[in-house]
Amino acid sequence: MKGWINGIGWVTAAGCGNGRNAEQQPLCPGSLEIPKRKQVFEKPDMRFGRLDEFSRIGLAALAFCLRDAGEESWSEKRPIGIIAASRYGCLQTDLAYLRTMLPEQGKLASPNLFAYTLPNSFLGEAALRFGLAGNTLVFNQEDESGLSPLRFALEELAWSEQQAMLAGICDLAPPQGLSRGGEYPGSLFLLLGKEPSAVFPGYGELELRGNEMVFAGAAVTDLPTLVASCLAAKK
Amino acid sequence: MNRVVISRVATVTALGDGLEPLWQGLLAGRSGIAPLTRFGCENYISQQAACIADLQAPAKGSLLDTILERIAVQIGDLPNDCRLLVASTKGEIDRLTTVCRQEAAIPPAVLFEPLLEKIARRFSLPDRGCNINAACASSTIALARAAALIAAGQAEAVLVYAADLVSEFVFSGFSALQALSAEPCRPFDRQRKGLTLGEAGVAVLLMNEERAKLSAESPLAYVAGWGAANDAHHVTAPARDGCGLILACRQALAKAEIAADQVAAINAHGTGTVYNDAMELTAFNAVFGAQLPPLHGVKGSLGHCLGAAGGVEVAIACRALQQQLIPGTVGCPDAEEAGQGRLNTAPQKVSGDYLLCSNSGFGGINAVVILQGVA
Repeated sequence: MKGWINGIGWVTAAGCGNGRNAEQQPLCPGSLEIPKRKQVFEKPDMRFGRLDEFSRIGLAALAFCLRDAGEESWSEKRPIGIIAASRYGCLQTDLAYLRTMLPEQGKLASPNLFAYTLPNSFLGEAALRFGLAGNTLVFNQEDESGLSPLRFALEELAWSEQQAMLAGICDLAPPQGLSRGGEYPGSLFLLLGKEPSAVFPGYGELELRGNEMVFAGAAVTDLPTLVASCLAAKK
Repeated sequence: MNRVVISRVATVTALGDGLEPLWQGLLAGRSGIAPLTRFGCENYISQQAACIADLQAPAKGSLLDTILERIAVQIGDLPNDCRLLVASTKGEIDRLTTVCRQEAAIPPAVLFEPLLEKIARRFSLPDRGCNINAACASSTIALARAAALIAAGQAEAVLVYAADLVSEFVFSGFSALQALSAEPCRPFDRQRKGLTLGEAGVAVLLMNEERAKLSAESPLAYVAGWGAANDAHHVTAPARDGCGLILACRQALAKAEIAADQVAAINAHGTGTVYNDAMELTAFNAVFGAQLPPLHGVKGSLGHCLGAAGGVEVAIACRALQQQLIPGTVGCPDAEEAGQGRLNTAPQKVSGDYLLCSNSGFGGINAVVILQGVA
């Protein structure tokens, strides 16, 4: 199973960015700055400011990734799916919603917050903005490598009619006491295409050989290493 | 491509434990929707839900623990190499709500990874699996992925386990969104006014056909096709033209290598909300045209079981194909024009090999699974 890495975008403790404008892989410890609309979209976007923080970092990383691949603009919906791995999901949004629900026995429960208490809500935000009509889901799995969404996406590419998959990770910093350590808050997505990008030079081909993931002829052990290899490959 | 069979199902719903009481209850037109006593709901626009009878959480545990136990007892021992796919939208949300109400520390157990570990341990599976969250299409997508894994030879057996609760968290949210019906929901009825929440646990064991034979498992149905597509339209509202559901249906038909007129019946999502049900009828009419087969929805009996809905409906569909009969649609005495002649409050006889199940959810996602009956 193979896919071409045609774009990379992120919102991490290193800031917002995409592969073509970066030298260093951005997954690192630190505090996360939630991007403002102007950092992500040039034009006014009424919905962006209303999104919960989890959705904002996820949507922004997806936008940067598509921009990196030259695939941000569209005229017809496209068979592109999204696979996002998350450990904490929208837990912070759940807690914010509970702060509106618990006082006054539910009278003040926020419908806007509730709409984002499903971790896949930001995938819908991305789908409608970018015309993505493929399969879209969030999954939770114990995986220290960060590669499980890429494996999932390569399988989707091989087994379906989807032409490309956005695959990556999305997590805010966890609430106090829940961190398992060694985590990089933020969101990072790769655009994997069945074909290499016709717009920009891609980063290279990612292959799943059994359980092993291979990029540029070398086995990949984790997501930061893969992203670093991609950034090195463009040079 | 390997042929995929469903060899076992287990269900816990408001109509009882096991597929037999569920099936008989549906055929009798019974509804599990009743006044809600689990939490105070006087401030919400509905006071009803379809709750599982006698559901008590263990001390410091979740109601999901009890559902898991009741499912595990039914499903029996599983192959040791069985993969695990879980589908739950909110997991142990009752526990999270309790600790927040008590202003206590949040236990790691409210996260999905410990939940996966607990589920794998209860089923004695080495694979801890993953949880798929695609809103109300979660278990349908999990079933599709399980089928894809088996068809491609990546797995010989996969257990899909799905469960979601009637919780104050979700109940208050749908109330705040004005999506709940004050009366029991009326899927596809002209007078429908919203959804009624339900809860369920379901396990579906899928196997490679050859492996099932070797294990002396009797197939209940084959999984013939599947598809998933996003509307790319709105986060909480369906696309009125049904574009995502149409696409998912066509993908599933193509995967099954059948024509639309070979589908004998449809188990629709049928939430009872104005827009969802209209969207579904639009989509089904676009896909099937004049050959629109008989269709039904079960949420007038079971409520909307969120991430578990699709799994429960696939379990029901196995029995429907076996008996060439679909249950009536409780709450639908006056069907929408686009579904007239195809929806009935009484069970309908069907004739054919294939049954299509669909679910749609927040985030614009639509998922379809096509089952084939066992000759």
